[in-house]
Formats: sequence, structure tokens, C-alpha cells
Amino acid sequence: MTTHEEFESLAALDAVGAATADEAAALRSHVEGCPACANAQAELAEAATLLARGLDPVQPPPDVRARVLASIGQHVDDDDEDDNVVRPFFNRWWWSAAAMLLLALWGWRELAVRAEREKSVTAEAEARHFSEENARLTERNEKLSAQIAAIAAAGTKTIALTGQAVAPSASARVFLEPEQRRAIVFFSDMPANTADHSYQLWIIRADQPKPQSAGVFDVTQTGKASITIENLPVATEIKGLAVTLEPKGGAEQPTNTNFYVSGGV
Amino acid sequence: MTMNQTEQSTGLLTAVARGDADAFEALYDRYSSMLYALLLRILGNAEDAQEVLQEAFVKVWTNAQMFDEQRGSEIAWLISIARSRGIDRLRSRKIRNERENDAGREVSIHVGFTDKSTGADHAIRSEEGTAVRGALAALPDAQRVALELAYFEGFSQSEIAERLGEPLGTIKTRMQLGMKKLRESLRAFQ
Repeated sequence: MTTHEEFESLAALDAVGAATADEAAALRSHVEGCPACANAQAELAEAATLLARGLDPVQPPPDVRARVLASIGQHVDDDDEDDNVVRPFFNRWWWSAAAMLLLALWGWRELAVRAEREKSVTAEAEARHFSEENARLTERNEKLSAQIAAIAAAGTKTIALTGQAVAPSASARVFLEPEQRRAIVFFSDMPANTADHSYQLWIIRADQPKPQSAGVFDVTQTGKASITIENLPVATEIKGLAVTLEPKGGAEQPTNTNFYVSGGV
Repeated sequence: MTMNQTEQSTGLLTAVARGDADAFEALYDRYSSMLYALLLRILGNAEDAQEVLQEAFVKVWTNAQMFDEQRGSEIAWLISIARSRGIDRLRSRKIRNERENDAGREVSIHVGFTDKSTGADHAIRSEEGTAVRGALAALPDAQRVALELAYFEGFSQSEIAERLGEPLGTIKTRMQLGMKKLRESLRAFQ
């Protein structure tokens, strides 16, 4: 059972609009039959207005006054009016109706303008999206064309990389363009890497003791990936290729010798 | 001069309820500055505040017959209409989000006080403003902040608790104590 004191506490919250819907409903229902709480509620509501009355007054622009008076059908030009003259009732309501009609028309136009504006913004966003998608597809198309051209080129050399102990079913095919010093590698049946790791392709060089990174790549559940290597060492310096799993983003040098695929050139 | 004198009904609303347009003009001239300040505080935007002020006064004109002097003062009725419409606008236009993302906002306001009310009225309200500000200043900051977040920003109890990082019970108690003090201040003025 809620006490009168508790209802007063609810009325305090309600006075600043902070009572929940249930609390406000319970309060409304109670004060209907409780003059003491109704009085407390009225006092608290009055007290809450002190928050507004403590603000420094700010004079609204004069056109707001004109609009307000036009809205209720009152003539604005005080200078021409005799305050002792009682205005005809029908005149006031005529102006009121006209003003309301104007306001309604203005509101309708404003809504239409806003709707058009929103439509335009949506259309622009869609156009931008399609343009970006088009650019992305064009870029992809160019990349695929370059890959096909590379694969089909007369001087292209094909190298097979085979799965090793950690991924025996994995494989990769390297299409090496010696003249362009470029290679495209297609991987198949590779295990998907976790989010905190990346695969890294290494070039094992004949002229250097340490392997050289040729790039990092990720493999999804499809087990497939491809990577294009530019600025390769000349073919005679490439002894072989191998792939290890490294921390996300790759490493300076292989951190382990668990090769997923590897093969000699 | 005490606040009580200004709380006495001017009779303007009763006249407006009878369709007296002159009384309506006088009512506008008397209270529009206070209500506009309230709407600027709630909405933080002069254009919105002016639109809502207009809507509020149209509502006053159409609903004046609902004002019951026995249930509250003229000024409280007007404030409740303006605040209610201001908070509705704040919520519907999600101005709250804009405000949070716009720390450097500026409010364009007319500072020239060209009120049509009499010098005596102005003096009463200046004195009232000083008295009210004194009452608000006497509130502990924690209580005042919680009340202002509810009254001017339209936040619920739980939203205030979340914003201030305090338990809901603490916020309720602060608001109740703050309101109790304001109620006592109001009584002291009378």
C-alpha cells in the first residue's frame, strides 16, 4: 500500500516530468480522491515553475508577436487601433480561420519541401553508393583482366606449390611473369586463418641467406585466396616459395618453420 | 514586493477564455519573454523556440477555458503548456542528439528588452527573478542538476541516473529533496 508521503514523493518527481508512466498514473488516480495529496501535487507543480522563472527573460523577435496575433486573428497594427473599440466577433474569427488556413498551407508546403529534400538526400546517397560500387567492380574487373592476361602470356612460367605436414591437402599455383617481374599466386584448400593471424608468402632467394616477404593474405572458410606479387627478384635469384602462418599483419622473418605450402622454382 | 503579488491571477487568462483578444495581447506581452527564455533553454535553438512559442500561445488561446484558478496559478499554467510543447519538440526532432554533438552551439537571442508591460510590472518581475534565483542557488548542486536535467532536458529518472553515473534511488532522493526545498521556498515567498 502506498502512503500519502510516498504519493507526495511521486508528486515531486511528476512536477519536473520525471515520474514514470506508471507512477504518474498511480498519482493521478490517487489525487482524485485525496484532497491533501492533490494540494501537495499542485504546490509542487507550482514550485517546479521556479526553475523556469529563475531564467533571465529574453524578448522574442517582434515578428513572433505578429505571427502569434495573426494566428488567433488579431490585427497587429496597434497604432491604428482604438483600444476602446470592441472588435466585431465575426471579424476576429474570420481572421482566425484565414490565419489557420494560411498556417495549414504553410505547414503542408513545409512538409512537402522537407519530404522532397529527404528524397533528394536519399537519391544522392544511393547514387554515391552505386558510383562507389561501380568503381569497385571496375577495379576488380581490371585486376581480373590483368591476371588473365598474365596467365595467358607466352612467357608465363607455372610453378606448383604443394601442401606440407600442417596442411597436406593445401596447394597453390604460381603464374610467374619473369619479364614483368610479377607473379600471381592462387591458393586452394588452405585452412582458414584466425582473426589474429595472417598467412605470409616468403621468397627463398638463391642470393640471400634469409627469406624475403612477398606479402600477407587471409584465407576464409572457402580455403581459397590469391595474391599478386610485384617487383619480384629476377627469376634466377628465386630459389623457392613457402607460406607460414604469422601474427596478424605479418613478420619481418618467419617466426616458425611450419610451412603450409612450398615449392621450388 | 513579494513573489506572491505576481502569482495572483491577473485575470487575463479568464478574459482570454471569453475570447478577449486584447487580453490575449496583454498576456503575450506580459509572459512571452519568460516563456521564450524557457523554450530557448529547452531547445537551445532560436528558430525552434520561436516556432514552439507561437504554438504554445495558439494553444493558450484555444484552451484558455480549461484554466482553473483553483488548481494552479496563471503563470504555472502557461509555463506547463510551453514546457510540455518544448519537451515534445525536443524529443520529436531529436534535438537532444544534435545538442550533445554540438558543444559549440550558439543561441541567437534578442537582448533588447522592449516589453510592452508597464515599468511596475517589469520591476515586479525583476524582483521576482532575483528572489527565484536566490531560491535556486540555495539548492545543493547535485539536487539542482538532477532537477534541471528532468525539467529542461526531459530526461527520465533512469536516464539521469545513467548520465550522472549514480544509482536510481540516489537520483530519486535528490530530486525529491530538491523539490521539497523549492516548495518551502515558494511558501516562504507567500
